[in-house]
Amino acid sequence: MVADHGDVLVPVGDSETLRRTVAYAVEQAYESAAETGESVTIHFVYPARWRIFETDRDDITIANELLNRVVVWAEEDLDELVGEDAPKPVNVESATVGTSEYVFSPGDFADVISRYADANGVERIVVDPSFRPGGSVPILRSFEEELAQRGFDVFEAPVTRQTRRRLPFTDIGLPEFFLVYAVSFLFYLALGGWHVTDLYEVVTGAATAGVVTLTLSRVALKSELPDLRLIGMSLVRLAAYTPILLWEIAKANVALAYVVLHPRLPIDPRIVEFDAAVWGDMPVTTLANSITLTPGTLTIDVSRQHFLVHALIPEAEDDLLEGTLERLVRFVFYGRDSASIASPRERLDDGEEEN
Amino acid sequence: MTPLEILAAAFVAVGTFFGFVATVGIIRLPDLYSRLHAASKSDTLGSVLSLAGIAVVFGITTESMKLVFLLVFLFVTSPTAAHAIARAAKEQEVEPAGENAWLDENDAESEGEGGER
Repeated sequence: MVADHGDVLVPVGDSETLRRTVAYAVEQAYESAAETGESVTIHFVYPARWRIFETDRDDITIANELLNRVVVWAEEDLDELVGEDAPKPVNVESATVGTSEYVFSPGDFADVISRYADANGVERIVVDPSFRPGGSVPILRSFEEELAQRGFDVFEAPVTRQTRRRLPFTDIGLPEFFLVYAVSFLFYLALGGWHVTDLYEVVTGAATAGVVTLTLSRVALKSELPDLRLIGMSLVRLAAYTPILLWEIAKANVALAYVVLHPRLPIDPRIVEFDAAVWGDMPVTTLANSITLTPGTLTIDVSRQHFLVHALIPEAEDDLLEGTLERLVRFVFYGRDSASIASPRERLDDGEEEN
Repeated sequence: MTPLEILAAAFVAVGTFFGFVATVGIIRLPDLYSRLHAASKSDTLGSVLSLAGIAVVFGITTESMKLVFLLVFLFVTSPTAAHAIARAAKEQEVEPAGENAWLDENDAESEGEGGER
């Protein structure tokens, strides 16, 4: 593996093999520095998963702490390789990328990483084999392919994952397994009419829950147990959101029935485009589906947080740009602080003034 | 008729009305995207209201709980399906009626990288 110059980029995310990946990357960099006699830089890059704003400060802290830890590890390894006081042939840098956009698909991750790599003249990328850019979705392979297509040399660090016990056929540990198992089992019993004393029900339920957990656990859960307190808060706010949504749906249907049954069919279909101020897969999905269910609007396409919406009647477009729904979705997922963000119309106007 | 039966009948009647609206909408509306409005909204509400009417008849039993689950799943899957159809139509470059033309041609340069997929 001889590149023109040996600069290395390592995408960083919390994983059990991160420590050994760092050691491997440092070794590689040190070797190529020794071969060419020039100094080599290692870039540790943390791809942010969604746009960071006031109520999401925790994500920045987590990213920075992880990057600091990685830099300390890399410097320790260097000290071991060249000795504490000797001049270092390897520089260590760290950065967070993708903070200003909603990074979602393997292509998105490859985009933000390759932009950073191009800006810093890096051609070699060392990937941690248990790096999980997509959270719950296993997209590492396609992420690596996307990077290779963009002309980078992509290597997986040869580290094995053994630190955490995983159950056969799954990618999860015991606590996660039991959570999914318990939910599936209770759901089965509830559907069967809650005959808890009936042995037949209990045995078939246990078997079914086992199959469901083994096949669907990676879909149902992210890599670790979710924060139950956060989920509880979201559920409470979701309970408040549901009646409002139902009311909006009722209004939508009366309006649509009027338009459809009117002899002259008074519609004025048009396409509306806007950037929603919600981040993360669940909030974006919720907003997209809510838009489809409410007055005269239908979500056609969503790319990151960019929405393409079909509006059937002009009032629908107004409602959409007032941003009531968007504000509600933000309230459900991020709490009250985030409700004060400007509506899409105000944001659009601001953008036009700047141009 | 007991008040409960009247309530159930009302639910089913309104549900049937919206099912009718959905059908008329699919026939009358001019293009794929407008028709999806009828299919995704009126149709959802129509089936949801009918199911709610049946749930009222059953009272608080396992059956009505299953119906409630059905309602929740309908609310989640129906807009998702509509979105999938609309998105597929857009990828096939089906032109919407009315004030047409995709807006993204105008500001293609600003969002260029994200679009191709």
